[in-house]
Amino acid sequence: MLTQPADLLVYSYDSSTARGTPDAVVLPASTEEVSQVVKLCHQRRIPFVARGAGTNLSGGAAPTHGGVVIGLSRMSKVLEVDAANQRAVVQPGVVNLPLQGVLARYGLQFCPDPASQKVSTIGGNVAENAGGPHCLKHGVTTNHVLGLTVVLPSGEVRRFGGKALDPPGYDLVGLFVGSEGTLGIVTEMVLRLRPLPESTQVVVAIFDTLEASGEAVSRIIAAGIVAAALEIMDRSTIQAVEASFPSGLPTDAEAFLLIELAGLREALDRQAEQCAAICRELSARQVEIGRTPEDSDRLWTARRSAFGATARWSPAMLVNDATVPRTRLPEVLRQIQQIERRHGLRIAKVFHAGDGNLHSNILFKRDDPKELERAKAASVDIFHVCAAAGGTITGEHGVGAEKPEYLRLIYSAADLAAQRKLKQLLDPFGIANPGKVLPPEEPTAMAGSAA
Amino acid sequence: MTGLTPTLRELEEIVGAPHLLTATDARAQYALEGQTPLAVASPGSGEEAAALLRTASQAKLSVLLRGAGHHLYLGAPPGPIGLVVSVARLNQIVAYDAEDVTVTLQAGVTLEALQKIVGARRQMLPLDPPGPASATLGGIVSANLAGPMRMAYGSPRDLVLGLRVALTNGEVIKTGGRTVKNVAGYDLSKLFIGALGSVGAVVEITLRLAPLPQARAMVVTALPPAEACAGAAQLVSSRLEAATCEILNQAAAERLAPSAVSAGPDEQVLVIGLLGEQEAIRRQERDIRGLLGGNCAWLEGAEADALWRGLRSLAYPHNGAPLMRIGVPLSEIPTILAAIPARQGWQTTARAADGLVYASPSVWDDLEDTRRALTGLRSQAESVGGYAVLESGPVALKRALPVWGDIANADLMRALKQAYDPEGTLGCGRLLP
Repeated sequence: MLTQPADLLVYSYDSSTARGTPDAVVLPASTEEVSQVVKLCHQRRIPFVARGAGTNLSGGAAPTHGGVVIGLSRMSKVLEVDAANQRAVVQPGVVNLPLQGVLARYGLQFCPDPASQKVSTIGGNVAENAGGPHCLKHGVTTNHVLGLTVVLPSGEVRRFGGKALDPPGYDLVGLFVGSEGTLGIVTEMVLRLRPLPESTQVVVAIFDTLEASGEAVSRIIAAGIVAAALEIMDRSTIQAVEASFPSGLPTDAEAFLLIELAGLREALDRQAEQCAAICRELSARQVEIGRTPEDSDRLWTARRSAFGATARWSPAMLVNDATVPRTRLPEVLRQIQQIERRHGLRIAKVFHAGDGNLHSNILFKRDDPKELERAKAASVDIFHVCAAAGGTITGEHGVGAEKPEYLRLIYSAADLAAQRKLKQLLDPFGIANPGKVLPPEEPTAMAGSAA
Repeated sequence: MTGLTPTLRELEEIVGAPHLLTATDARAQYALEGQTPLAVASPGSGEEAAALLRTASQAKLSVLLRGAGHHLYLGAPPGPIGLVVSVARLNQIVAYDAEDVTVTLQAGVTLEALQKIVGARRQMLPLDPPGPASATLGGIVSANLAGPMRMAYGSPRDLVLGLRVALTNGEVIKTGGRTVKNVAGYDLSKLFIGALGSVGAVVEITLRLAPLPQARAMVVTALPPAEACAGAAQLVSSRLEAATCEILNQAAAERLAPSAVSAGPDEQVLVIGLLGEQEAIRRQERDIRGLLGGNCAWLEGAEADALWRGLRSLAYPHNGAPLMRIGVPLSEIPTILAAIPARQGWQTTARAADGLVYASPSVWDDLEDTRRALTGLRSQAESVGGYAVLESGPVALKRALPVWGDIANADLMRALKQAYDPEGTLGCGRLLP
C-alpha cells in the first residue's frame, strides 16, 4: 500500500489528459486480496479504480474521483498455457507482447494486438475491449475471451464462463469485457488462442492522394480479399515518422498504405500480386511486396512508429479514435480536413482503413492553453462528424473520463438508461471507477463546438 | 377470457386487426409443447413490438417471441403462453452496402433471403445453423446458433455488431452500432444474443459478412475412434485453415450416407471442410492426406454441399429424438465420445475446433433409461469442466432431466432479467426456468 504524495502522483494519471489524486494505492497479489480491498471500499463507500499499465487513452485508469487505485502489476502470472485446448489462463497484470512471446513457443497467438502491446496489460485490454491493426480478420478482444474471474463491487468473487464455448445462460463474460472497470475488477481471464498463421506478406504502396489509397482499400475488399491488416498514414504522419525515425519514405507523399496478408502461402502469393496490381492501377508511385518476415517487419516499422513519432514530433497531442462504416471514410476525411483548417490545427491521421477506425492525432502546444481548447473543440467536431456518418465516438480506446457526455451523440436517453440498469444492478453505490463510461442522467454542458 | 378482452383490444389497436390472431384454430398453430397462446400478434415495426410488450407486461401476459418457429424446441418446456409476438412481418433489409461488408436487417429476414441478397455481391453471412434456411436472423441471434463453419467464422456472438431491441417498458433501444470496432458504452448486445427472447425482443440486427469463398471441398475418411480424434486435434492445432472439422460416429455417418465413405461399426468418420481459393484448397488436401493417411475421399461441388447440409442436420432434432449438446474443452472430446452408451443406437457428431458434441439416441421409449443415460453424459461433461444441455426431446424428459442442468451464476442472471423485464413477461421460463 502506498500513501506518500510522490507515489500517489505516479498513479494520478494515465495516457490521457484526465487527472485525479488517489487517497491510497494498493498493489494486491491475489484475487482474495483484491476482494478484501473492494469489500472495505464497499463498506465505506470509497471509490476504487483498477489499473494495469496506465496506457489508457481516455482517462479510464485515472482516479478522477479520488479513492483507492488498485494496481494489478503484481498479478502478472501466466497461470496456464493449455495448448491442447487453445486456451491460456492469465492474471490481469500480464503484458500483451511478452504473452505473445510465450504463446509463440506453442505456435499460438492471442489475436488482439493493440499498438500499446509492448506495455499494456491483458487486464487493461479486456477492460477496454482493445482492438489493434490485426482485428480486421479475427475480431476484437471480446471475441477471444471465454472466461473471467471477477471481483464485483460488493467484493464478492465470481467466475463467469470457462474453457468450454457457449455455457448455458446469459453471456456475462461478454457484458464485462469492455466495461472499463466500472462493473468490477477482473482478476483472472481464460483467453482463446489461435494457431499462428503459416505465413504473412506485406504490401506497401505510396500514393499522391489520400483518396487513391482509400480507393485501393475499397477495391481490395471488393475483390474478396480478407487482409489481416489495412493501414493508412497521411502526409503529416509520414513527415512525423521521417523526422523521428527516417526510413526513406517520401515526405511529399499524401498517403502510405500497408496491407498485411496472413494465411496459407499458396493463397498469399496471388493475393499479394493482386493487391499490388490494384495499387499500380491507381497510380501508386511506389509499390513494394515484402515476402519474408524480415521484409515484412521492415515495412511495418514506419507504421508501428507512427504514434510515437507523432508524439515526439509535436509536444502534445489529443488522440481521437472515432470510427465510421468504412464506405463513409472519404467524406469523413474531407470533413476532418475542414475541421483542421477551421481550428488552425494540424491533425495527423493514421487509420485502420479496413474497419473505418480513424485515429486523428490532434497536435497542439502544451504551454498554449488556447491551443489546447481549440484541439478539444476539434476533437468534439470529429465526434459529431463521425456520429452523423453512422459511426461511433470510440473504436478501441474506450469512453473513460473524457467521452461520457459524447455518448449522447450516438445513444438516446432510452439507450443510455438501459446501459445504466446494468451499472446500477452491479454497482448500486457507484464506487467502481466512478465518472467513467456512462454520462449522468441529465446532460451537462459539453465542451467545444458542434460541427 | 372476458378479463382479457380489453387487453386484446389494446393489442389489436397496436398492430391492426389483421395482425392479431385470436381464433382457436389459428392460435393452435402456435402451440408449443402443450401450451397454446391466447393470441398471436405480428408487429409491423420495432415500435409496435415494444408497445405490444409493454401492454402485455402491464396485463401480466407472458410473451413468447417467434421467428419462423424452427428453433422453439430449445429450452425448458414453457409455462403458460399469453401472447406470441412474431417478427415475421419485420422482413426488410435496412441497409446493405457491400463495401462495408456489413448488413443491417430486420429480425424477421430469413437466412435464405439474406444469403440470396448478399450472394449477388459475392458475399455471405458466414453462419450455417442447424435446421431450415427459412429460419429468421432474429431467431438465429436470439439462440446464438452457428454450425459446422463456426471453426472459421465464429457464432452470432462474434458477428453481431449492434441490435435494436424492444423492451417491456415500451422503449426500443439501440445496442452497439454499425462498425466492426466500437467500444462506446457497455456491450449490451451480448445480453440479448443467446437469451432466447427472455430479456427483450430483437427487432433489428447489424452483422458482419464475409466474402463468398471461391470454392468448397471436403475430405472424408473413416478411422478407428482414437485415430479420428487424434487426426482432428492435429488439424485443429495446425496452421491449415479448415472451416469444418467434425467427427461422426457410424450411425450419424449412415444417416448422412456420404456415398464416398462407409464406416465400420468401430470406426468414426472424420469430415473436414475446406473453403477458399482453389490453390489453397488443393494444397490443404495434400497436407491432410499426409496427416491422415491415403485413404481419404475427396468431395466437391454438389456432393460437398450435400454433406455440409447433412452436418447441419445432425445438430437439429430428428424424428422427435432427444438431442443433447455437450460443451467441453477441446481435448475432452474423446472422453465424451467414449462415454456414449453402446445401446440405444446413439448418433453423435463432435465439432473438433469448438468442443461441442451433439448426441442423440435413436431409441428413447424408456424415458427413465434415457434420462439415466443423459444424466451420465452430463456428469461426465461436468467432471471435465464442461456442461450438457438437453436441446430437444419429449416434454416429460425435458422436465425430468432438467434441460439446462445447474446454470452457474443463475442468481445474477435472474437479477439481470428482473432489471430489464421486471414483470417476468418474456421467455415463458425457457431459459431460466
